[in-house]
Amino acid sequence: MSVTNLLDNWAAVRHFHPIDDKPHDPYKWAMAIDLDACIGCNACAVACYAENNLPVVGREKFKHGQVMHWMRIERYWDEDGRDYPDQGFQFLPMMCQQCEAAPCETVCPVGATNHTQDGLNSQIYNRCIGSRYCSANCPFKVRYFNWYDYPTTENVWPAEMNYQLNPDVTVRGKGVMEKCTFCVQRLRAAEVTAKGEGRIVREGEVQTACQQSCPTGAISFGNLVDPESRVHKQWQAQQVDLDKDMQEKNQKEGGSDLRGYRILEELRSYPSVMYLERVRESAV
Amino acid sequence: MIDSDSVKNLAGHPFDRRDFLKVLGWGGAAAALSGCGNTSIEDGKETVVSYVEAKDYVIPGVAVYFNSTCAQCDAGCSITGKIREGRVLKLEGNPESPINKGRLCGLGQAAVQHHYNPDRVREPLLRNGDKGEAISWEKAYALINEKLAGVKGEEIALVSGDVSGHQKVLLGNYMDSLGSKNHFVYEAVSPAVVRAANLKFYGVEMPRYRIDKAKVVLSFGADFLGTWVSPVHFAQQYAAFRKGVDGQRGVLIQAESKMTLTGANADRWLAVRPGTEGILALGIINALGVATGDVAELVKDYDKVRVSRETGVEPSNIDKIAAILKLRSPSLVLVGSAAEGYQHGLQNAAAINLLNQVLGNVGKTIEAPVSVPFPQMAPAKGKTAALKDLNDDLAAGKYKVLFNVATNPVFTAPASYKFRDNMAKAGFKVAFAHYLDETALQADLVLPLDSEMEDWGTHVPEYLADTVQINIQQPLMERLHANTRGFGDILLALVKQRRAEEYKAFDDYYGYLRSAVLQNKAALGGAGSDDDTFWNDTLSNGIVKLSGASGALSLKVDVSGLKLPTPKEIDEQYPMNLIPAVTSNLRDGRHTNQPWIQESPDPLTTIVWDSWVEMHPKMALQLGIVEGDIVKVTSKTGSVSAQVYLFPGIHPDAVSIPIGRGHDAMGRYAKGYGVNPFEIMDAVFESATGELAMHETRVNITKTGQRVIVVKDEGPAGGRQMGRKIAARMSTDQVDLSKEV
Repeated sequence: MSVTNLLDNWAAVRHFHPIDDKPHDPYKWAMAIDLDACIGCNACAVACYAENNLPVVGREKFKHGQVMHWMRIERYWDEDGRDYPDQGFQFLPMMCQQCEAAPCETVCPVGATNHTQDGLNSQIYNRCIGSRYCSANCPFKVRYFNWYDYPTTENVWPAEMNYQLNPDVTVRGKGVMEKCTFCVQRLRAAEVTAKGEGRIVREGEVQTACQQSCPTGAISFGNLVDPESRVHKQWQAQQVDLDKDMQEKNQKEGGSDLRGYRILEELRSYPSVMYLERVRESAV
Repeated sequence: MIDSDSVKNLAGHPFDRRDFLKVLGWGGAAAALSGCGNTSIEDGKETVVSYVEAKDYVIPGVAVYFNSTCAQCDAGCSITGKIREGRVLKLEGNPESPINKGRLCGLGQAAVQHHYNPDRVREPLLRNGDKGEAISWEKAYALINEKLAGVKGEEIALVSGDVSGHQKVLLGNYMDSLGSKNHFVYEAVSPAVVRAANLKFYGVEMPRYRIDKAKVVLSFGADFLGTWVSPVHFAQQYAAFRKGVDGQRGVLIQAESKMTLTGANADRWLAVRPGTEGILALGIINALGVATGDVAELVKDYDKVRVSRETGVEPSNIDKIAAILKLRSPSLVLVGSAAEGYQHGLQNAAAINLLNQVLGNVGKTIEAPVSVPFPQMAPAKGKTAALKDLNDDLAAGKYKVLFNVATNPVFTAPASYKFRDNMAKAGFKVAFAHYLDETALQADLVLPLDSEMEDWGTHVPEYLADTVQINIQQPLMERLHANTRGFGDILLALVKQRRAEEYKAFDDYYGYLRSAVLQNKAALGGAGSDDDTFWNDTLSNGIVKLSGASGALSLKVDVSGLKLPTPKEIDEQYPMNLIPAVTSNLRDGRHTNQPWIQESPDPLTTIVWDSWVEMHPKMALQLGIVEGDIVKVTSKTGSVSAQVYLFPGIHPDAVSIPIGRGHDAMGRYAKGYGVNPFEIMDAVFESATGELAMHETRVNITKTGQRVIVVKDEGPAGGRQMGRKIAARMSTDQVDLSKEV
C-alpha cells in the first residue's frame, strides 16, 4: 500500500466503528471503571495472568521494560509540593482501551491488528510479524511484545506450572505483539452459546477475569448497545458518548459535576473504557 | 475405601459416647447432635474415589467447577476452581460465601502456583548428613513412632500456624494421645494485641466491624483493604461504604506512620510519629469534648497543642477530624498493626478503642460476633508470643521431639532469638512441609504435604461475616505427586499409632471427615436428607452455614489502667524507627515462591522481585540519598543492605522494609531476592501481652556508595501525571453522586 494510496483513501483505510452502514449490532463490548471504588490491590492483574497465560518474565527482563502485564495498576500522587500525599494515592487500572479508531490498527503493515464486528481491537498472533509499529503508536502503552520465546527457551512454565495454562488461550511465541483482549475467549463462548439459543448475550452472562476478581466491584463490563446493561446505563448517566472526542457536558461553563471521562479522549481514538473519577471528601 | 460395616460396628462399640464425639470434633458442642452416630450408611462397600476421575459429566473442552476454600491466608474465602480435563486452571471466588461473595484477591488467585509449584517437596525426606534421603511413608511413620518411644509428653512440642476445623480436632487429639500440652500456635503477622485489647474492652477478641454502616471510618494503621483480618470481605464493605449510607459517601481517615494500601485510599492520610497513635486518639476525644467522668479526666491534658507536638499531626487536622466525627454518626474507629507494634501496644489499642465508646459506635458499627457452636473446631489463633515461649523452651533443651506444621520460624524469628541454633537442640525434628524452606531444612524428617487443591479439610474462619460457616476444602484435582500426603491423612496415621482402637474405622481422612459431618448432619442443616445427598450437597456448596447466636457486646469502660508513655527522645546512635511493612501480596513470606506474587508490583511503590528501604524524600535529601542508593540499615541486632525508594507516604523519622523477601531457601522464585527485616529486628515485647513489638526497632542508615536501578512498574515520570488528565479526581463538593447508576 503506497503512501499516496493510503492518503487518498484514508477514510476507507482507517477503521472506525460504528459507521453508518456497519452499526454495532448486536454487540459493542465496553467497560466502566470506578476509580473511587478501585483500591489498587492488583487482584485484577493477577487474575489476568491466570486467565490469559501471561508469562512471568523475572527481575532482569522486568528491569528492561519487558514485563507482559496486560493489565497494570498505575499509581500517581499529587505534585503540589506538600510533604505528604495526604489525600492518598490515585490508582488507575490500565489495559487496552479497545479504541474505536485505534491508532495501532492503521499502522500495522500486515493487518494483524484490526477491528471486530463486536467492537474489539483484536490481535491476530499468527499474522503478526513483530514490526512493533502498533506499540509505538499506542497512546496508552498497553501493547506488549514477546522479545523472547517464553514457553520454550525461557521456560517460564517449568513442569508442572504448564498444567495451569488456559487451553482456551494461545500461548504466544517469540516475535509477536499481544495485549488485553477483553477476555475474548469468554466473549466468544458466550456469544456462541447465545446464538445457538437464538438470543443475544444477556447482561451478567459474561465477565472479564479482572471484573470477576475485583474485591470492590469497581469494574463493570458489558454490551454498550444493550439498553439493559449496566455499562450502557453508566455511560448514559455520565453523558459520555462513544463517538465524540469532546463530550458536551465538559463544554458547559464551570465544567461537569459528573465523574465519567475517557483518558486522552482528545486524541480521537474513541476508547471503549470509561473511567469514573476518584472522589475525595472536601470536609477533611 | 471406607468399609461401612466397620462404621456400623462403631455404633455398638463399647466407647463412651462422649469420647466418640471428641474423636470426631463435636465435643462440647452447643448445637444439637442427631440421636446417634452413623446409622444410615448403606450396606456393602462404598468406594471413595476422587471425583476428578473421568465421570460422565467430564466433557473434554468443557470446564467443570468445584467449590473449596482458599488457604493462602486465614480469612477463609470460599473459592470455585475451574477444572478442565482433570486439571485446575483458575480460581474464582464462590458467590455463596458471605465472606468474599464471589471475589478473590491476587494472593488467592496465586494459589494455583502453589499447587503446581516446581519446588514442592515430593517425597518424605530423612536427614543424612547435609542431604535429605527419600524414604517411604511406612518408614517415616515407623521412625516417628520409634523416636517417640519412651519420650514423655512434656518433652514433645508442636508448632503450627492458625488451624481450625477437623484438622485442629485431630491435631489436638494427637497431642492429647502423646500426653503433650505443648502446641504452639504461631503466626508471624497476627493482630494478637488488638485481640487482647478488644477482649478487655468489648468482651470478645474480634467483634464484627460494619464499615458498610459507618459514615466515617477512622483507622489507626489497620490495613483492612490489604492485609488486615479479612481483606476481601472488608474491601466489599468498603465499596458499600463509599457508595454511602443514605446517599452520603463514607469518609476514610487513616492515621499511621507508613502508608498502607488502605492509607493510600484515604480521604485524609495523617503521618503520625511512630508510637503516638494512642496519644492522637486521646487528643481527638479531648477535641470532641463530649466525654464525661473518668474519660474526660483521662483526656483533659491531651489538648491540641500538646497532641500536635507529640504526634506531629497539625492542630487544624485534629479539629477537622473531631468535627466530622461529631457531625456524621455512626462512625467506626479501627486499630491495626501499626498501633499495636510497640511496647505500649495494648495501651495504644485501648486508647483507640475508647474512641468508639465516646462516639457511641459500639452496637452500631461494632457488633457482637456469632459464636461458633463447636469449640473444638473454632480456630486456634496464632501469636508471636508463642514463638518466644517455644524458643525459650528449646534453648533450655526441654524438647526431644519437635513437630513443625508448615510454619517457617527460622525465617520469621528475630535474629536475636537464635532460633536455628535452639531448634537444633531438639533431638528429633519433624517438618510437615510444602517447600524445603528455611525451617524444613533444619528438620530431621520432612513430610511432604498435599497442596490445598489436593487435600481434604474443614475450616472455621476467625472473622465470620454473617452466620457461622464451616468451609469445606476438597481436592480440585488428583494428586500431582504420588508421594505427598494430606495433612489430615498424616495426622490420622499418627494418631492411629497411639489410639488405634478409636480411629480404626477410618481408613483415611476423607472417611473420617465424611463420618464426622454425617454424624452431626441434623445440626448442620441436613435433617431429613439421606447421607449421600447431604454429603454431596455439602461438597457441592463448599460451605456449611449454621445459624449461630450472637449476643450483645459486654462493653467495659475502665480507664484506670490506661497510661500512654510520652514519646521517646531520639536516640543519637539509632535515630530512625524501622517499620517492617506487611504487604498484601507477600504477608509473612510463605508465598514468596509463587512467581505471580513476585512479579505483582507492590501497590504503593510498584517495586517487583526485590526488597527496598522506604524513606521520605525530605530525610533522603538530608542524608544525601537518592533513589536506588544501596544503604546499610543497622540496628542493635544487626544490619541489612537494600536499595532506597523515595516515598512521600512515610513519616520522616521512619524507614520501612517489607516483610516476606530475603529467603535463602524455599525455591527458585524466592531464594536470593531481597532482604529479611527479621534479621535486624530487636527482641522488644509488648509489655502486657508479651507479643513481639515489631515496630520498636531503632536503626541508623549509612550509604554504601553503590547504586542500582530500582526494578519497578512506575515509569520515568514517577508518580506524576505531567499535566494530563489520566487518573482524575474530584472533591465531594464538585460532584453530584445522586444521578449515578
